[in-house]
Amino acid sequence: MYSLLIKELKLSVSPIFYVMPFLTGALMLIPGWLYFLVVLYFTFITVPNMFGGYKSQNDLIFTSMLPVTKKEIVKAKVAVIVILELLHIVVAMIYGLISILLYPNMDYLFFKPTLGFWGLNFVMMAIFNLIFIVMYFKTAYKYGAATFAAVAAALLFAGGAEWLGIQNSFVSDLLKGTGADNIAVQLLILIMGVAIFAIMTIIAYHIANKRFEKVEI
Amino acid sequence: MLALEIKHLNKEYEHFRLKDVSFQLEKGYIMGFIGANGAGKTTTIKSILNLIRLDSGEIRIFGRDLKQHELELKQVIGSAFGDIDFYTRSRIRTLTNVIKRFYHHWDEDAYNKYLKKFNLNENKKIAELSTGMKVKYSLALALSHGAKILILDEPTSGLDPVARDQLLDIFQELVQDGEISILFSTHITSDLEKCADYITYIDNGQIINSAVKEEFIDTYRLVNGKEEQLHLVQDKLIAYKTNSFGFTGLIHTVDFDPSWDLRSALPNLEEIMIYFSKKESLHV
Repeated sequence: MYSLLIKELKLSVSPIFYVMPFLTGALMLIPGWLYFLVVLYFTFITVPNMFGGYKSQNDLIFTSMLPVTKKEIVKAKVAVIVILELLHIVVAMIYGLISILLYPNMDYLFFKPTLGFWGLNFVMMAIFNLIFIVMYFKTAYKYGAATFAAVAAALLFAGGAEWLGIQNSFVSDLLKGTGADNIAVQLLILIMGVAIFAIMTIIAYHIANKRFEKVEI
Repeated sequence: MLALEIKHLNKEYEHFRLKDVSFQLEKGYIMGFIGANGAGKTTTIKSILNLIRLDSGEIRIFGRDLKQHELELKQVIGSAFGDIDFYTRSRIRTLTNVIKRFYHHWDEDAYNKYLKKFNLNENKKIAELSTGMKVKYSLALALSHGAKILILDEPTSGLDPVARDQLLDIFQELVQDGEISILFSTHITSDLEKCADYITYIDNGQIINSAVKEEFIDTYRLVNGKEEQLHLVQDKLIAYKTNSFGFTGLIHTVDFDPSWDLRSALPNLEEIMIYFSKKESLHV
């Protein structure tokens, strides 16, 4: 499994995708922007390009000829997705911190980059993973429909959350008002978000495993 | 000892079926796996590499069941696909550094030796290699991780005659010590006449014959006769062609009767293939 992960990181994933988090993360510096988009760029750009790369390099057959099990193949691919997602979120969090320091008196229409907001980002990526990973491993090469469905669901979540943040006084207060300064509440939302992310990704991995078992190469 | 034993493979696709495929390869020999395009060579090879799910059947490598011992067996299998490229924009060095991690018995000295022997430059990208060089690179990888059985899908197709001859010489060198066995598929029958010990012939998803090369050829006779003699033997022939001088047909040696007053000769592999495929089209 470790060798397979090294193979993914060194051979299959283009170095640009390790740089992308630092570029897209910089969008956090736009004052009062719709910050969900920053992490969503991973799903817009990195995912289709990376999986298109797998397809054009015949990665599926290349990997299958190595002495590895089908389970390990799925595990390594899911691990790469998670590593890149974490990189995107963590780098964006750092830029977010700078953004808050740069604009201390900002009046936020959309969510402020608080810890709780990052918790929501984890939930968004949990939804993305569940749909993308499960759909992708039905064939292990068709990534178009999987990307479309997963991005659509993630967008709906982000849009819905922002809408609630504007329409609903409780949510607005929790993430933009007094709740934003309550570290305990913010941390709790973050931890819940991470937990949902972990659980949904693990579920996605297990379903993907079952589906990939039936894939003919 | 058997290097490879395939028993009763069955696999059904929408438009194609592998039917009860069985054959075996003795350790230390070269087996040529021939058949027309679409006859089932690649499907059989993919099942040996456990890339497809079989409906039924059993594959044993060095006596061990492939399904149960997939990981250990893949350590001793070397494979090459003549017509599929991977990571063509990567350098040989990069690819090797990734691949060698997977093998417990990777031998760096052997690898360097083969690079030198095959004239492979580690700084070259896969896309810069000629078709023959790509096959040689696959061989270098396989031999450096201690592969004992090489499963090669059309390694010689697309190669010029000189490169093909070189490759066949390499195959013969490899099996000399009796440790390495090779199964390679091809539709270029002259390759097999040069270097195969055994021939397995697949046609339309079914094994027609699998035997030592000389025996394989000896199973058949090519007969020549005048047109008016054709009706005497027509039923016994596998297939025949007529021309202005008469007819030429392929027949099983056991069915051949010397009293017929027909000229007979040993066919070559290509003729066997052609007549069998002709038979196929007659029955459709």
